[in-house]
Amino acid sequence: MNMTRMMAIFEKDLKEFMKNMMLFTSVLIPVLMAVFFSRVGVGAGAEGEMPPEILGILAGVVFSAVIFSSVMTMIAEENEKDTLRGLLQSPATIIDIILGKSMVVTLMTIISLVASIMIIGPENYWTLENIISLVLTGLFFLNMGIGLGLVVKSVATTSVYIIPIMFIFGFTPYIEMLITDPDSIAIKIAEYFPIYQHMFVLEGNGGAMEFIILAAWVAVSFLLVLWAFNKRKNDE
Amino acid sequence: MSMIQVDGLKKSFGSEDALRGITFNVERGEIFGLLGPSGSGKTTTIKIMTGEFKPSGGDVHVNSYSYKQFSKNDYVSSLGILSDKSSLYDRLTVKDNLELFRKLYNAPKGSVEKVLRDVGLESEIDKTVSKLSKGMKQRILLCKAVIHRPAILFLDEPTSALDPTTTEKIHDMLEELRNDGTTILLTTHNMDEATRLCDNVAFLYQGVIQDSGAPVDLRHKYKRDEVHITYTDGTVKTVERTAKNKQLLDNVLFNSEVADVRTDFPTLGEVFKKVTGKELV
Repeated sequence: MNMTRMMAIFEKDLKEFMKNMMLFTSVLIPVLMAVFFSRVGVGAGAEGEMPPEILGILAGVVFSAVIFSSVMTMIAEENEKDTLRGLLQSPATIIDIILGKSMVVTLMTIISLVASIMIIGPENYWTLENIISLVLTGLFFLNMGIGLGLVVKSVATTSVYIIPIMFIFGFTPYIEMLITDPDSIAIKIAEYFPIYQHMFVLEGNGGAMEFIILAAWVAVSFLLVLWAFNKRKNDE
Repeated sequence: MSMIQVDGLKKSFGSEDALRGITFNVERGEIFGLLGPSGSGKTTTIKIMTGEFKPSGGDVHVNSYSYKQFSKNDYVSSLGILSDKSSLYDRLTVKDNLELFRKLYNAPKGSVEKVLRDVGLESEIDKTVSKLSKGMKQRILLCKAVIHRPAILFLDEPTSALDPTTTEKIHDMLEELRNDGTTILLTTHNMDEATRLCDNVAFLYQGVIQDSGAPVDLRHKYKRDEVHITYTDGTVKTVERTAKNKQLLDNVLFNSEVADVRTDFPTLGEVFKKVTGKELV
């Protein structure tokens, strides 16, 4: 890993991000959703406080639309246009390249999340526990984006992954709208998904178990990254 | 020691042999051409030298590095690579693209402006790449490959599908690089390009080097001592260039019935066909 090279890739990717309408608008989607939720008062309680489900969905949208889909699209575009080969033929390593891109999407994710939360303005959101749960959830989505980005060969193919990942992992709490029986096995399974752990922490019901489950998801997603690295190496 | 030493190099993909033990050397400051049709193993050879593929057998040394050291940073930094698949970031400006590679190769500040001046594109520095012509993009790609002044330049079909004016400009730049001491290995289908630029060439066909040498030496080697005389009525007569026919050939110049006289000094493309039995397409 070389800091100069990583920063050169960060600088290049930041410029590309700002000039790519598809990526740039992904940062605005959660902000617009936050404006919508705050105006119509979706699910607001008696004291006007936004419930954790809405905040959880908002975080899910930020992570799936910004960090996951952006990093996957950026890597897929480099694959499609063969610019990734140019980078790999230079002294930059794949680690420099991935970290440079990750820094850009992380920055954009932070901007999108902070702006969205500021619009809604919930109390006691930025607690240490919640920040840790956000970091772990973000790492999970980042790893998923990197892993799948290394596998897909074109930007068009990314939509095959973006939609299911977004619905399964980003919008998990919506399952309660589809299945009303709280004892349903589907709900029980969904409650082990990352966004639910984040919501439990946000509700103040989080204990060590929620963080262990989140860490397990991060570990699984990291295995996906390792598998994708090896697959790519063997394909070449 | 030669800049590039390839000794019995083999590469297989499953049961398919792409290279079957090729051997050649390239000296410092030389332009060496690997000539062959598609699928003959040219790109595979370059990919082994750039560390993308591992050889299945034989040995390769480039700039004193063994192929086992091709992933080393010092080695990678000494190479410049331009292939027909090389591309630029379309949304970014020429400067942004070249600055990225200047920083990746740790080249000195000002290298971007200098290399653009060398190819006559300094006025395009702030233009977005998507607005450039294909020929301009190819010249920018060459700038990207040489921005760090590499010791060795690998060029895989550098002028394929380019117009003659751009091709000429790229040839001029390659000759300047050679004069500055850069060693260049290029693959091409273009025989005029190989004849003009290459100090030595190797004919690669079906993973085997069929023949190699300086273009002019190969043309001499495969020439036939024949003279083709075309008369004004369209008839063509082929005469062997021997002492026996000296009088006849001397008279040709003064014969008003003769429309054209051509010796049988083959082009490099014709030599390739004689050696391999295949057209170089």
